[in-house]
Amino acid sequence: MGENTIILRPEKLEVRGLVKRYGGGRRRPGTLAVDGVDITVRAGELVCIVGASGCGKSTLLNVVGGLEDATEGAAAIDGERVVGPGPDRGMVFQGYSLFPWRTVRENVAFGLEETRMPKADRGARVEALLEVMGLTAWADRLPKELSGGMRQRVAIARALAPEPDVLLLDEPFGALDTQTKRVMQDHLLDVWRRTGATILMVTHDVEEAVYLSSRIYVLTSHPGRVGAEVPVPFPDDRTPEIKRTDRFHAIRDEIQALLTGEVVME
Amino acid sequence: MIPRRTVFVRSDDRPGGVTPLEPVAEGAAHPAHTLDWRNSLAGRNAPTRGTRRHPLFRIRDELSAPWRVGLMIVGMLAPLALWLFMSTSSSTSLLVPSPAQTWEGARTLWHEGVLTGDVWASGRRILIGYAISMAIAVALGLLMGSFRSAESFFEAPIAFMRYIPATALVPLMLFWLGIDETPKIALIVIGSVFFNVLMVADVARNVPRELINAAYTLGAGRLRVLRRVILPHSVPGIIDVARINLAAAWAILVVAELLAADQGLAFRITRAQRFRQIDEMFALLIIFGIIGIVTDLSLRWLRNQSAPWARP
Ligand SMILES: Nc1ncnc2c1ncn2[C@@H]1O[C@H](COP(=O)(O)OP(=O)(O)OP(=O)(O)O)[C@@H](O)[C@H]1O
Ligand SMILES: [Mg+2]
Repeated sequence: MGENTIILRPEKLEVRGLVKRYGGGRRRPGTLAVDGVDITVRAGELVCIVGASGCGKSTLLNVVGGLEDATEGAAAIDGERVVGPGPDRGMVFQGYSLFPWRTVRENVAFGLEETRMPKADRGARVEALLEVMGLTAWADRLPKELSGGMRQRVAIARALAPEPDVLLLDEPFGALDTQTKRVMQDHLLDVWRRTGATILMVTHDVEEAVYLSSRIYVLTSHPGRVGAEVPVPFPDDRTPEIKRTDRFHAIRDEIQALLTGEVVME
Repeated sequence: MIPRRTVFVRSDDRPGGVTPLEPVAEGAAHPAHTLDWRNSLAGRNAPTRGTRRHPLFRIRDELSAPWRVGLMIVGMLAPLALWLFMSTSSSTSLLVPSPAQTWEGARTLWHEGVLTGDVWASGRRILIGYAISMAIAVALGLLMGSFRSAESFFEAPIAFMRYIPATALVPLMLFWLGIDETPKIALIVIGSVFFNVLMVADVARNVPRELINAAYTLGAGRLRVLRRVILPHSVPGIIDVARINLAAAWAILVVAELLAADQGLAFRITRAQRFRQIDEMFALLIIFGIIGIVTDLSLRWLRNQSAPWARP
């Protein structure tokens, strides 16, 4: 798919004029976490959000996921306003949120148990995901027995299992070492291309953002606003080789500069 | 003599200092005094960093089995010694039967053939009453811990009822329900259910928000979240609540049996009192204690079995 076809895709996920204030009362202003954010993700796009810690990235994702109400503005999927969570929007949480009483395998199977999928198919899908995530050997372990990186992989597998239309990923590779991260990134690209899912992903890793996404939103902090929207002009079927191109470095440095300026300002 | 080109070696000419890191030449033999250094560090007078207390005084540290068992045995023997002392010393005006006399008292009760009947009578009341109490507590508690609406609705009346001493309801219950089993079971329920409900609600409230959110995004509806997230996460907590409040159920049962019963452990105590058989009273008290410890340990075991994930 080339750059030009993107224009033809319908808008899948829209955030319009989103304002989110925490704990504001009559006297106290509360925390203005997000202040007027507009974001659009077209069907089948993979878009990343980068921004300093505390700039409202998780908040934004939670509103799209329907887990928190917007103070003003709204998020919409396929033109329908989000009022609550649903299996059409799979999420990977920053804190993993694994079910501690379920084994790795059972955690991954949770979403499928909520579908009408036949049991045998469910099992096959779970095993395949465990294999890809390198978790087969740990399938019968409880989350408390896993390292941070393993937990993160379980969380990703669990969100991928029901193959949702929209994936909301909150720093899904944050706790992984560089090598595992690369494998996971390529796996995510693979899943994305295969399922045609629409993905909105938060990351701290600028290089990761450039490598994965079609577009990048750079958020400014306090309050969180969209500071810049950077298109990434690489084709969807990209390979790790692009990381060595000048164009890649240019985009990466541009975003890095935007983020650095942000830090200096504070 | 091996040249002093070693890694991190405390050298004599630089007291207290550490020689800078220098690459050891390829293939060079490991310097002999590295070993000395290690040995000297292991020595008794070697300098140390940080403090390391005896396991007995460390917060949340594992204790070796001998210490653990030893302390448990001492903990059991100490009150026994006190008892022995009180029963033999003439300085106290209290009439305390000796352990041997108590044992005889227990044997007397056993030979009268009343003991098993009493244990069963009291145990049955507790079993039925407390099962009803926990059933109500789990249903209502999970509801209150999950829905703010249920919490708002039930909180005030339950708090009100909780402050009415169940013992104060004994006359009323006997008046309403007669003197057979029903009022005793009702009293056990009333005496424990309000505590149980509020504590189960607390357990349910402690289910992390993120787990509920995760279940929602995986397609679970509210009822499914209740059944598949809030309930399993609450199981160990619920068993703990049952374990902790069970003592309150026994307390209220005793009051009920003291007033109106013809069987049961507390009833037997009043009988012993009438005939001034202090040895039998002591034997019965100890039986209460034993039943308590056994149920406590069983519930702990059940909690650990049902929720290995919550084990520390
Ligand atoms: N539940 C809450 N109650 C009050 N304030 C909150 C709450 N959640 C987030 N905030 C505030 O909103 C702001 C944005 O938080 P958010 O978690 O969205 O940041 P983030 O961009 O995800 O940061 P990070 O990169 O560290 O994860 C922060 O200032 C935070 O203090
Ligand atoms: Mg965050």
